[in-house]
Amino acid sequence: MSSLRNEGCTLTGALSVTTAVRDAVSIIHGPDGCAHHNFSLLHALQYENDQLVLPSIISSSLRETDIVFGGEEALARVIGRAQERHPGAIFVLTSCVAAAIGDDVSAVCGEVRDIPVMVIPTGGFLGGGFHDGVISALVSLSYLGSTGSPSGMVNLVGEKNLEYEADANFHEVSRLLALLGVHVQLRFVRNCSLADIRKLGSASLNIMRDASLSGVGAVLSDRFGTPSLPAFPVGFEGTLAFLEAAGRKLGIDSAGAIASEEAYQQQVIRRFADLQGMAVRIREPGPAPGPVLAELEKLFCFDLQDNGPAPQIPDPFPVGTAGLSRMLHRWRRLCRA
Amino acid sequence: MKQIALYGKGGIGKSTTSTNISAALSLRGLDILQIGCDPKRDSTRMLMQGRLIPTVMDQVRERGDRAITLPDVVYTGFGGVRCVEAGGPEPGVGCAGRGIIATFQVLERLGALHADVVVYDVLGDVVCGGFAMPMREGYAQEVYLVTSGELMSLYAANNICKAIKRLSNRSRGQCRLAGVICNAKNLPREEELVATFADRIGSTLIQFIPRDPVVQRAELNRATVIEYAPDSTQADAYRLLAEKILTNSRLDIPEPLEIGELETLAYEFIAE
Ligand SMILES: Nc1ncnc2c1ncn2[C@@H]1O[C@H](COP(=O)(O)OP(=O)(O)O)[C@@H](O)[C@H]1O
Ligand SMILES: [Mg+2]
Repeated sequence: MSSLRNEGCTLTGALSVTTAVRDAVSIIHGPDGCAHHNFSLLHALQYENDQLVLPSIISSSLRETDIVFGGEEALARVIGRAQERHPGAIFVLTSCVAAAIGDDVSAVCGEVRDIPVMVIPTGGFLGGGFHDGVISALVSLSYLGSTGSPSGMVNLVGEKNLEYEADANFHEVSRLLALLGVHVQLRFVRNCSLADIRKLGSASLNIMRDASLSGVGAVLSDRFGTPSLPAFPVGFEGTLAFLEAAGRKLGIDSAGAIASEEAYQQQVIRRFADLQGMAVRIREPGPAPGPVLAELEKLFCFDLQDNGPAPQIPDPFPVGTAGLSRMLHRWRRLCRA
Repeated sequence: MKQIALYGKGGIGKSTTSTNISAALSLRGLDILQIGCDPKRDSTRMLMQGRLIPTVMDQVRERGDRAITLPDVVYTGFGGVRCVEAGGPEPGVGCAGRGIIATFQVLERLGALHADVVVYDVLGDVVCGGFAMPMREGYAQEVYLVTSGELMSLYAANNICKAIKRLSNRSRGQCRLAGVICNAKNLPREEELVATFADRIGSTLIQFIPRDPVVQRAELNRATVIEYAPDSTQADAYRLLAEKILTNSRLDIPEPLEIGELETLAYEFIAE
């Protein structure tokens, strides 16, 4: 999934965000196939990640006559059905065909109801991919947040919900923040409620999942005045730099945290001393970790080869010291095999 | 079986001309099927004593396309002409072009597209692929352009030539331009202008239809001119047109004009 982050379906990207809100329903305004396909995909990936909650998705089930006469009535009907589930909010995501015929989705959603009904434009033929859907959904959902005075806590923004290691990465960032004595108040958006999302504007810092979400960070800082860090940390040095930057933005002295993390990193490096001089073939540098790979090469004096065992460079790259430790563990298994 | 399609700018007189052609042909003992391909759904009104018949798309919407039978969509009017209206959405919503495509699928499935002559009366500007449907898949092989001498009307006719030209070089496309019908606005030198236009695009002016108040009188009596005033000269013009269409064998791949050429042409006739 992750390697396709700039491709794929806009709708799927947005759903990976909206279905992570526990008490909301996502409507796909389109043919049943769009809903079926996305439901199956989300369900399969979440099942693989040991989450057994079914994604809350319903379809406006557009048929040919809806396309000819306009799909707005079908949308109004399915909003009614969604309301029967008593959600706290309804997200309406448009399919390609609804966008192509120009259904006035905002007008239908704009009718007065007692819960928010929010449009997220996701017509994939407009040229966006999975990642554009994620951004579109995050920006839309940010309107559900209220402003508040800074709590001293942080928000994690744009965790990759379909990623296998999403929770491992979350625990690592939480561990690092705990070294600074800081807590996560909201995972925007992962396994949270609408009440949680309301706290969006009161964080003292937003930490973006990766640099591709800088636009979302800018929206949040415009709206709530919250400063942000551009990405979860990767690499040993990157992790220390993350602690330093987070401390600086939060006005916390990070010296102690950095020292203790550095000591932990030395432990990890010693634990993998047997990898020294390992022959590796780096297949593709991948998006982020260029400097991280250089760092690892230096630490472990890897013998770079054109052939030989080729360890996977995971994409997305694992987060923090713990992420590196997991990756090195896998590399060791590979070269012992 | 002969299948003809009338295309032209909105309001130029396609439906008036189509219904009179159908009426005239039916009186020659031919089995005629007229299909209105315009969400305005008023193509066949004058053949149906002013009645707006239920449209194919309305029926599909109400009952689902599997439940529809031939009598639900085909209505017999003046002279036994069988009338069909595609129908479609209200202005400003949905996708009218898809409605035309869906209508053809229903008619195809019902085996409705059979007659001595099938007359397709199609919405003016071929705004999307759906409205080119009658020209595709071997339906109407003969396209008639309805135009007056007004620039905007010639402009629309010229655009339709572009569609005909594009479709004519497809393997399955047998659609050709069969001629230009001048439905006059009674402008000076109008016939000459439209004849010159027809010639320039590589076709011919097949018939000049005068502008005549008898058309409105017939309309107020909810009838075609053929039915309401069979002895009028206007009826003669429609009968002559019907006759020519029946025997016409000239089929051209048109060469649309550049916009500049078209303007110059129209200007030549207005200036003097
Ligand atoms: N030859 C004519 N003489 C007088 N009026 C005409 C003539 N042809 C068409 N009209 C009038 O023009 C109006 C529009 O014609 P119509 O056939 O409905 O156009 P279209 O089908 O191209 O939109 C009609 O109400 C009709 O009364
Ligand atoms: Mg008409």
